Amino acid sequence: MSSSLISPSELDYIIRGVDDNLRADGRGRLDYREVILETGLIFQANGSARCRLSKGTDVLVGVKVEIGSIEIDGTDEEVAAVKAKRGRVVCNVECSPIASQQFAGRGADDINNELTQLVDRVLNGPQGGLNLEKLCIIPGEECWVVYIDALVLDYGGNILDLIFMTIRAALYNTRVPKTVIEEDKEVEISDDVEEWERIEGWELVPISITLNKIGTRHIVDATVLEELATKAKLSVMVNKNGKICGIQKIGGGSIEHGLLNEMMQTGRSIGQNLILNLDKMLQKEDEINAERAKNDKIGFFAAA
Amino acid sequence: MNVQFLFPKPPPSIEEVKDADGDIDMLLKSQRQKFETKVVTPGEVIAKDTQYMRGHGTYLDENETHLASVAGVVERVNKLITVRPLNTRYTGNIGDLVIGRITEVSNKRWKVDINSRQDAVLLLSAIHLPGVQRRKTEADELQMRKFYSEGDLLVAEIQGSFQDGSSSLHTRSLKYGKLRNGSFLIVPPTLVQRTKSHFHRLDCGVDVTLGLNGYVWVSKPSSRVLNEMSEDDSEYIYSNENEPIGKDAREAIARVCNCINALSKSYMSITDTTISYAYEASLNFSVKEILKLESIELIANQTKQRLKA
Repeated sequence: MSSSLISPSELDYIIRGVDDNLRADGRGRLDYREVILETGLIFQANGSARCRLSKGTDVLVGVKVEIGSIEIDGTDEEVAAVKAKRGRVVCNVECSPIASQQFAGRGADDINNELTQLVDRVLNGPQGGLNLEKLCIIPGEECWVVYIDALVLDYGGNILDLIFMTIRAALYNTRVPKTVIEEDKEVEISDDVEEWERIEGWELVPISITLNKIGTRHIVDATVLEELATKAKLSVMVNKNGKICGIQKIGGGSIEHGLLNEMMQTGRSIGQNLILNLDKMLQKEDEINAERAKNDKIGFFAAA
Repeated sequence: MNVQFLFPKPPPSIEEVKDADGDIDMLLKSQRQKFETKVVTPGEVIAKDTQYMRGHGTYLDENETHLASVAGVVERVNKLITVRPLNTRYTGNIGDLVIGRITEVSNKRWKVDINSRQDAVLLLSAIHLPGVQRRKTEADELQMRKFYSEGDLLVAEIQGSFQDGSSSLHTRSLKYGKLRNGSFLIVPPTLVQRTKSHFHRLDCGVDVTLGLNGYVWVSKPSSRVLNEMSEDDSEYIYSNENEPIGKDAREAIARVCNCINALSKSYMSITDTTISYAYEASLNFSVKEILKLESIELIANQTKQRLKA
């Protein structure tokens, strides 16, 4: 209900806990909560995934690929030449009002915009990992458009990190149909599911590690109450190779220069480890899905 | 016109069975067993018999069959069938102990979130005013935020309810009041049962306050013994300062919190007994390991076994 309020004594308890490296749920400063991951839950989508943090955030992502026209905007010829040879990624993040009271009514508008823009900017740039040129079908005319829709179903802190994790898992799960261009420039889509392919470069899609500055120190994977005690947040986008693909500072507080560097380094190493673990989970998920397909048990409740 | 009066008589299939107290039970034992801790999902058939009365959480279809409208446990009082939902908001009852969070300070009253459908009300006249026992003054009205301000957590008792169904709270005893030195967590309100006392001191040296509304406060015991008459103490109950909490105490609090979360995740009732059983079962793990699903399962199973024994 009153998820945006915290009492002074709770605040003090959290700050001192962070100082002692022992948070309210027994985690240290740099411990992540357990992530539960499922893929292939939505029939109609080309790829989907759902990630949950134990006792917290729940994010569902669906990926749909559709054929669209290449949009060439702007007058810069160089930019236009690059864009003509590329597919597009369109992102949308929505925080459902069932997740938290604070998303009810128009309350989610700001955070939806903020998250959508951030995800869009990361995935459409050169650092996004996806090989957008492979998504081009007829240069200057037609391409695949990848629609990524993220839905936040439950809120227990650390939304952004989970959104990126889920998007990465959903892109892993995505298969793009093969296309054949016929003589009259008609695009033929292959029906053979076996021939469908993953989007090239999904493994280089970055994930985000959000560091929350509480007191003079920083923690990862904050809970709702910890987020309320946070002065400033720094989200570091890291890919599999440990390259930083973007950073974003959220919140009004300040971060000292030395701390900023430290936070970026921590984000990088944690991110790389997390990606390794997630990739293992994705591989396991593939086996589970193959097993499920045999039993005809695919869908939202199959994993339960 | 011929009017005929039909006298009520028990349906022929029902025999009168006397239970241990000598009360006449209207249902056969076999029929009664049908209702004992039966969990239903929405739309599930509860009873086909037309003799039952429709209670909360149920509805009738065109064949007069009783169906559940919520997921929960079937409960029966004589012929009245109700379904108590597993996941529900808290409904206040007079005398209940609840934990709440102040959401609003308004004219001579506070609004308090108690996980109910509506915020509860705490009147300025229903709190323990600092100083010797006295009437509230205008000065008190002006400094209401000194007692409780937005976000503060407090433990209170439900004093009554208003016409619209919202509850009115009071904190007139020193048992009640502001919460300090600990950690707050939320469990489903159905898991907390009404007991003699809701303030527990566990063997591990941690205080647990179980609100009937599903809000739980786990804290380090206060070193200060409060005295109703002392003026210092009545100021102290509104303080926001935490006492220093050592690393061991912090760890114990975190462990108890995680154990309660583990119990609520496995949908087990939360009492001082189950918490201490779970605590003892959890000692094989480090505090943060209790967050993992496998350990939650292990702890829950061990607790269940000890409860049965």
